[in-house]
Amino acid sequence: MQFLLLIYENEQRFASGFNPAEMQEYEAFGQQHASAIKGGNALQPTTEAQTVRLRNGKALTTDGPFAETKEQLGGYYLVEAPDKAAAAAMAAKIPGARFGCVEVRPIMTFS
Amino acid sequence: MRYMMLVYTQEIEMEKASQEEMARVFAGHVAVQQETRRRGIFRAADPLKYTSTATTVRLQEGKTLVTDGPFAETKEQLAGYYILDCADLDEALEWAAKIPTGCGGSTGCVEVRPIHEFPTGPQGEPILATGRG
Repeated sequence: MQFLLLIYENEQRFASGFNPAEMQEYEAFGQQHASAIKGGNALQPTTEAQTVRLRNGKALTTDGPFAETKEQLGGYYLVEAPDKAAAAAMAAKIPGARFGCVEVRPIMTFS
Repeated sequence: MRYMMLVYTQEIEMEKASQEEMARVFAGHVAVQQETRRRGIFRAADPLKYTSTATTVRLQEGKTLVTDGPFAETKEQLAGYYILDCADLDEALEWAAKIPTGCGGSTGCVEVRPIHEFPTGPQGEPILATGRG
């Protein structure tokens, strides 16, 4: 099964750049789970976000993310895991789980 | 530059949708994926199961706290994502407007977020291990 691990934390922590020690932790996480990780990216802060809504055939674009939240989506991993418990155990090892939280969502498969 | 398109929809609307509406939304996704693949800018896309299947993990003082449900309750819910390699934000916004967000055509939105590109290592290897996308 594939799962999306969505990393949410207060992006103010990264306002003056990334902590090199934390980046090394991410690198170690990536190496340790290399065979399970199918994808992953970090996102630029929500100040760079634009949100598009289509109403009556017209695109309405607004600055900012779709919703203001206390913690913000900062990145994700797409992982292969035997079950949800295994995916959650992997999520707990992502440094972001210490500072914010990691949402584990199964990928939808169409038969 | 790569952009992540986060597709938010109202799950309640999807549950109410007819088979015809679902087929139309599905066809809309197929069309966007075929066209972006043809242009060589498609990088990844995945649909997600409903937020009722979500689990949220926090680590507090070394202890793992697992709760059912998504990280936040919102009026619209994350239903899937695309990664497209676009020339600029304008192109990304054009594609975002073509991605179907749900049923009835009147709900949902697409958030467009530029991806943070990390420098590569001395041998060109990614600093952060990532796969496709």
